[in-house]
Amino acid sequence: MSWSEELRKILRRVRGKPGSPADDGMEGGVSCEEAAERLFEWLDGELDPDEAAGVGEHLETCARCYPVLVFERSFREAVSRAAEGTDAPESLRASILDALEAEDERPEE
Amino acid sequence: MELTVAPRVPEIVGAQAPKHTPHAVYPDSIVTQAKVSRDTFEAEALPEMDAVYRFALRLSRDPDRAEDLTQETFLRAYRNRDSYTPGTRARSWLFTICRNLFLRGQERSRRHDEIVADVAKKDPRHFSREATVFVQARDRDPEGAFWGEIVDARVMAAIDGLPDDFREVVVLSDLEGLPYAEIAEVLEVPVGTVKSRLFRGRRILQEELYEYAMEEGIIGPSTPSDTPTAEKPSP
Repeated sequence: MSWSEELRKILRRVRGKPGSPADDGMEGGVSCEEAAERLFEWLDGELDPDEAAGVGEHLETCARCYPVLVFERSFREAVSRAAEGTDAPESLRASILDALEAEDERPEE
Repeated sequence: MELTVAPRVPEIVGAQAPKHTPHAVYPDSIVTQAKVSRDTFEAEALPEMDAVYRFALRLSRDPDRAEDLTQETFLRAYRNRDSYTPGTRARSWLFTICRNLFLRGQERSRRHDEIVADVAKKDPRHFSREATVFVQARDRDPEGAFWGEIVDARVMAAIDGLPDDFREVVVLSDLEGLPYAEIAEVLEVPVGTVKSRLFRGRRILQEELYEYAMEEGIIGPSTPSDTPTAEKPSP
């Protein structure tokens, strides 16, 4: 585990207890609601660097949001893995190359 | 049809690549660009064949149709290769052509609004901002380990079961990894629409797969977490 992950873990433990004085729900300067709304965009790498940093810090350190992040990440990984290895059949590759060849031989219109 | 001749933007590492013009995929468009050689086409478009085939397969849900679509896509692309700016995103250019061919070939029986309305009617929870499956699974599998236990074929079947509009965005984002902006180009919709369809599409998919995981016993039935242990060690 890297030092930054270690630090996040500690942060979650310290601030994380819902209802504790340190639990202001504004980790990373972002509210839980905003973090939930931006979760997919953050996972998809669609946020600009500043916004991504705040949302990322919130998701990684908020005791309530972090489990949702882990859960959604696990879902996304399962989905992207499912399609791996589906490639175009070799026969298709050959027939496309033949079609391009035939196209080159067609007289100019 | 409006004709725009985009100036060549120098390639800058890490910068947004120049956009291809989506309308240029039609054979009747007049495009004033440099000739794209067969070699360039082969070098930039052909490596995308697997991605185009996968996209066609998920669109059509039929391997034979997917092969035809892929072949037709490459033939169209080759005929119109001068509309492609070398060094730009060949993949989304090809996806656009593939999708246009697919849509042309099939009569869309229902309009988008109707599909959305149907899905909403079927289960209004799909439109909640809450992570509903997370809430349901929280007590039993908070880390979502069960997602990884579901066989790939079942995940693909669930994707194939999504309504067209949602299937397209899920495939382009989650399977092919296209950025939202490129998905928006391929589908010819605003980025905001991509975001909301992706959100709903993933939620529907989660509901489907969660139900499946329950049926298959991959995720256990709900048990009260405070159930006392059955036996106490005898003194």
